[in-house]
Amino acid sequence: MGESPRADATTTTGRGRSLVTGRLVSLCLVSAVVTVAAGLVQVAFGSYPTTFGEALHILLDPAMLLNPEVWRAFLLDAELPRMSRRYLVVWNLRVPRVVVAVLAGATLSVSGAVFQAVTRNELASPFVLGVSSGAGFAVLLTLVVFTGLAPFLPLFAALGGTVAFLLVYAIAWKGGTSPVRLVLAGVVVSMIFHSLQQGLFYLAEDIGAVRSAIAWTSGSLAGADWGDVRIALIPSVLSVGLALLGARQLNLLLLGERTAKSLGMRVEAVRFGMASVAILAASAAIAVAGIVSFVGLVVPHIVRTILGSDYRRLLIGCVFVGPALMVSADAVARLALRPIQVPVGVVTGLIGGPYFLYLMRRQDAMGEL
Amino acid sequence: MSERERVQRDRLTDSDGVAVESALVGEELELRYPTSTEPVVECARLDVPEGAVTALVGPNGSGKSTLLKALSDQLDPASGTVTLDGRAIESYDRTELAKRLGALSQERESPGSITVEDLAYHGRYPHRGVFERVDQADHEAVDRALELARVEHLRDAELAQLSGGQRQLAWIAMVLAQETDILLLDEPTTFLDLHNQFTVLETISGLNEREGTTVAVVLHDIEQAVRFADYLVALRDGTLYDWGPPGEVVTEQLLADVFGVEADVSHDPELRITPRRALADDRP
Repeated sequence: MGESPRADATTTTGRGRSLVTGRLVSLCLVSAVVTVAAGLVQVAFGSYPTTFGEALHILLDPAMLLNPEVWRAFLLDAELPRMSRRYLVVWNLRVPRVVVAVLAGATLSVSGAVFQAVTRNELASPFVLGVSSGAGFAVLLTLVVFTGLAPFLPLFAALGGTVAFLLVYAIAWKGGTSPVRLVLAGVVVSMIFHSLQQGLFYLAEDIGAVRSAIAWTSGSLAGADWGDVRIALIPSVLSVGLALLGARQLNLLLLGERTAKSLGMRVEAVRFGMASVAILAASAAIAVAGIVSFVGLVVPHIVRTILGSDYRRLLIGCVFVGPALMVSADAVARLALRPIQVPVGVVTGLIGGPYFLYLMRRQDAMGEL
Repeated sequence: MSERERVQRDRLTDSDGVAVESALVGEELELRYPTSTEPVVECARLDVPEGAVTALVGPNGSGKSTLLKALSDQLDPASGTVTLDGRAIESYDRTELAKRLGALSQERESPGSITVEDLAYHGRYPHRGVFERVDQADHEAVDRALELARVEHLRDAELAQLSGGQRQLAWIAMVLAQETDILLLDEPTTFLDLHNQFTVLETISGLNEREGTTVAVVLHDIEQAVRFADYLVALRDGTLYDWGPPGEVVTEQLLADVFGVEADVSHDPELRITPRRALADDRP
């Protein structure tokens, strides 16, 4: 067989090959650098003037970094020790916003990647499948009507997302599901929940609530604080961890239902379990950042283009690239039109929309949609 | 053309007249797809004898693949049962079944960037716990499968880079890595060049000879079926036309009735088929 192709040089050869390839390491490093750089910009600039050096100094101050009392305040909601105004601005206003962006970027990307494997459709994402709008409706309902339940936002978001996804699944179910039916059902359910969201605005008593709700539905990190970090941290870590543990199952799902089944997988159970993980991940992000569109679609796709479709690598890539995109986009959203802030979802939408279009044009398989 | 009187056999016997044990048995099967009103296959009894190679032959649309799907529990029969070692196949736990029975369907899809080796490792799925890492047994099984399917040199190649035939062999490596004692293969040689067709068939009969693997395989080519299979199952229009050792089953009548081909069949002493011409389409 003279035509045998050369093995890809980036995949290590032979047995005991490690998952860690040069590309994976480079991608993660570059993403980490971008995240840190954009994060530093976010921390240094804003309406309260600090210089870059000053911000860096405050950030790296060991008196803060190594102070357990401070971290208890940030992560466990204990009382914040006294500190100067500059420190408060950096550590209590700007840093948590970056942290929330990191969490939201990672969870949305992982969620999108998992949904793409579960539905075997590269155009799937929590946004496309109606999960975002379902979770969004639940969050809005909590913010506008049941204001006292705010600490349980991710729970309600997950509940809303689950209801939406179950609806989508039920609509798409016909003795099994198909990627096409899932996406179409997702569009329908999205529209319904979107209308419900709109309707909720009229129930809101004061204009302030409506304004923040609108900002929230387009995905905003304005005003993200350590409280948001506390809300999102555990579900984020949990869902990303579970997704990584399930990477092999996702890989097998990519081989098609028939193959997965004949290899002994309980396909619908795995699909459902992994979809739950994806819903939890999306909900963690939506609860604190609102509906940030297209991150869950674009990031997995970029990573797939660079690393290939092996989910063990793909998901790790998403955990790094997602935050890089999110933190950068939020820096643009916050600083580009100073003093006006736009919601970060507007920026990701402006990047993601054309990208989605490009994906559709490029994908021949779109014909079956 | 008169309908040949079909041979009815209650029990399959080998050349010495000794009864053969069946690994898989389909009884009173009626198979249909959700979309079809008419049954696709109806068959009173079908045996896949243990430790032998059984070839399912018949023209396009005669129900070979459908039958194979039922035998591998991919399609629930509308009525009738499939039993594996005397136990209803649907009573097997999925993993348990996947350790016993490997099935390769025609409809295969994969991300193009998966490597041949990674694909083969998926064959180890039923042997690994959910969070278990690959162990030595997995490595050995994969190495062996790659070698048997003769794709060892393509180990690190991505599927998208391969020719259709090589890709087919990679999939066969996957199902071999599963290390089952029964293999059900749906048209594993279709679209392959002659060299790779023989690679596949030799691999199958080699496995059967050395390890006693039970094989049921859908083949397009009756001459290959005669050559490589111990038993033939001839299907026509969703019914079993005849089954048994090739020497008994393959006759000029069968070739005319099932395949619509006029052919000479000679035994000198090996069975030889010499096709003459296609018969008119208004056969009974």
